Amino acid sequence: MELKFSANAGFFGMRRDRFTQYQPQRDLEEKIELVASVEGVTGVELKYPNDFADLKRVCELLEKRDLQVSAVNVDIKDAEHFRHGALSARSQTAREKVIGLLCEGMDLAAELGTGLVTTCPLADGYDYPFQIDHGEAWGQFIDSVARVVAHRRDVTLLLEYQPHEPHARIMLGDVGKMLHVCAEVGAENLGANLDVGHSFAAGESPAEAAALLAAKGRLRYIHTNDNTGDGGDWDMMSGTVHFWDWLELLHTLERIGYSGWFGGDIAPKQMGPVEAYRTNFRLVRRMNGLLERLGRERLAELVGRDGNTAETFDFLSSFME
Amino acid sequence: MNKLAIISGFLGKTLNRYMTYQEDRGLATRIEMASRVEGADGLEVCYPADFGDFAELKELLEKFELGVSAVNFRSRRTGKWWRGSFISEIAEERGEVVDDLKRAMDFAAELGCNRITTCPLNEGTDTLFEADYGRIFDYAVESFGEACAHNRDVRVCIEYKINDPMARCLFGSAGETVSFCLLVGADNLGATLDIGHSLLARERPAQAAVLLDRAKRLFYVHLNDNDGVWDWDMLPGAYHFWETIEFIYVLRQLGYDDDWFAFDVFPKELDTVENYGAVMQLTRKLEEITDRIDVGKMEALMRERNSSQTIPYLYSLI
Repeated sequence: MELKFSANAGFFGMRRDRFTQYQPQRDLEEKIELVASVEGVTGVELKYPNDFADLKRVCELLEKRDLQVSAVNVDIKDAEHFRHGALSARSQTAREKVIGLLCEGMDLAAELGTGLVTTCPLADGYDYPFQIDHGEAWGQFIDSVARVVAHRRDVTLLLEYQPHEPHARIMLGDVGKMLHVCAEVGAENLGANLDVGHSFAAGESPAEAAALLAAKGRLRYIHTNDNTGDGGDWDMMSGTVHFWDWLELLHTLERIGYSGWFGGDIAPKQMGPVEAYRTNFRLVRRMNGLLERLGRERLAELVGRDGNTAETFDFLSSFME
Repeated sequence: MNKLAIISGFLGKTLNRYMTYQEDRGLATRIEMASRVEGADGLEVCYPADFGDFAELKELLEKFELGVSAVNFRSRRTGKWWRGSFISEIAEERGEVVDDLKRAMDFAAELGCNRITTCPLNEGTDTLFEADYGRIFDYAVESFGEACAHNRDVRVCIEYKINDPMARCLFGSAGETVSFCLLVGADNLGATLDIGHSLLARERPAQAAVLLDRAKRLFYVHLNDNDGVWDWDMLPGAYHFWETIEFIYVLRQLGYDDDWFAFDVFPKELDTVENYGAVMQLTRKLEEITDRIDVGKMEALMRERNSSQTIPYLYSLI
């Protein structure tokens, strides 16, 4: 399996959480320079609208560092327009605004030669019971997504599901809801950006989520990371917690013939972004290499038999001897 | 009856990973806002943020007739103390935070609340093998021990929390906190029981309160609520109605009934004064529902431990 690595430029500048601010503020040029210096990275995910104030300049910077845009990440969570939802908003003004932003993102993606726009619909959620009318909100959500993908068929819209934050519950919170949206909308140019940490936070097995998405032709992009599985989206380096789940995911991706990007959503905190991303991608590459060395066919054969878990793990752990 | 306090930091700008809510507000504005919250009796003031001009702080509290429940000591500072302050591997950093905590204790004494609450959130780890747990516990014992010895009349309360911003904090539960306090052995070191943090740690808050009380370490209480997944700092009782009732009932049994309830509730984009007005109203309502429990009857029911009797009795009260 070819591993194409892309880094999310946003993580290379100042980040914050509720309590703390990490890393200095860096401008786009500095961020792109840092991304380009990460071993093995050939792609970069940039945010629309923030990173694209000067498109010509962006193109020059990318060309200079020989980076491709892996996907245009459209930010649809700002409080000014989307306080009460974006895709699912009752307000037509908010819906027109978000549809407009995503369509602009698609045009930009076409111009940049990437066929992908990704967005994490974090404004579409709720904190309290009785806060929203779920039927109405889901109707609007699906209708808005259908309108966006109808804008142009040569660019794919990727939705990145996440169970919560900043709302206690995000509507598009798990792989089941993701597949529901795809089934309802139906368009070919709609797919999932499977963020591995979000899948863990949703209590899923990312390997199972990947298999489900792939079965419907909807697995188009992956964000690599990890977390402690307690619901917190810690954006940790891949495999630092869920080592075996990560191996299973990489095994599954190879079986289903995944050929898309391996993006990175890693919070560098005080480590520094270049080091954190380099190690993250090395971890992914090394875990994948481990499967190669162990023998993927033999592994598939073992997994293909019932009641065979002990033998499978005996095989998997043989590298420790 | 417990008095009700708002944590001053929640009256201005608040952040999470993605959003900024409300505007940055100065001390005078925040205190004036608190005075407009119906039912609020005082503030939990934040150190160092609110202490730029101590005379002004005292003047404002007096002017708006607001009490002080505690001084909230912030042990996280952007740009420093990255690997924890009380548990830092760097001795100067540990010295620095202990000195600063002593200063905050002096202010708490001068304000008359004689109580520090601190949530040591950078005291923890993200990944496995990140720190030597033995050493960081030893550092913590030494740091808190030294601070507590500074003034035995000021109670220092560790507000335990399982995570955020570290994937695992050092003080994650009532059990971890109480055993740490016993390890330090200072009578003025105890716990702040934040009901939301307790729920996040998969505790029964009432049970946690009793454990802390038995060890003489139930020093202070924060009220709020969440969905059990994350520390959303929501309106009291919005999710855990009966847990909150049981908690208030047990606090009364323990004699925590003439103290303060402080609130960390995130108003997010809602009107802050209105949101905190709802906090106060809901708290008094939850207390009023708790009043309806006949203590003699409840004690008899508890001796039976028969939920078929107890739960219908509780529902008969609402």
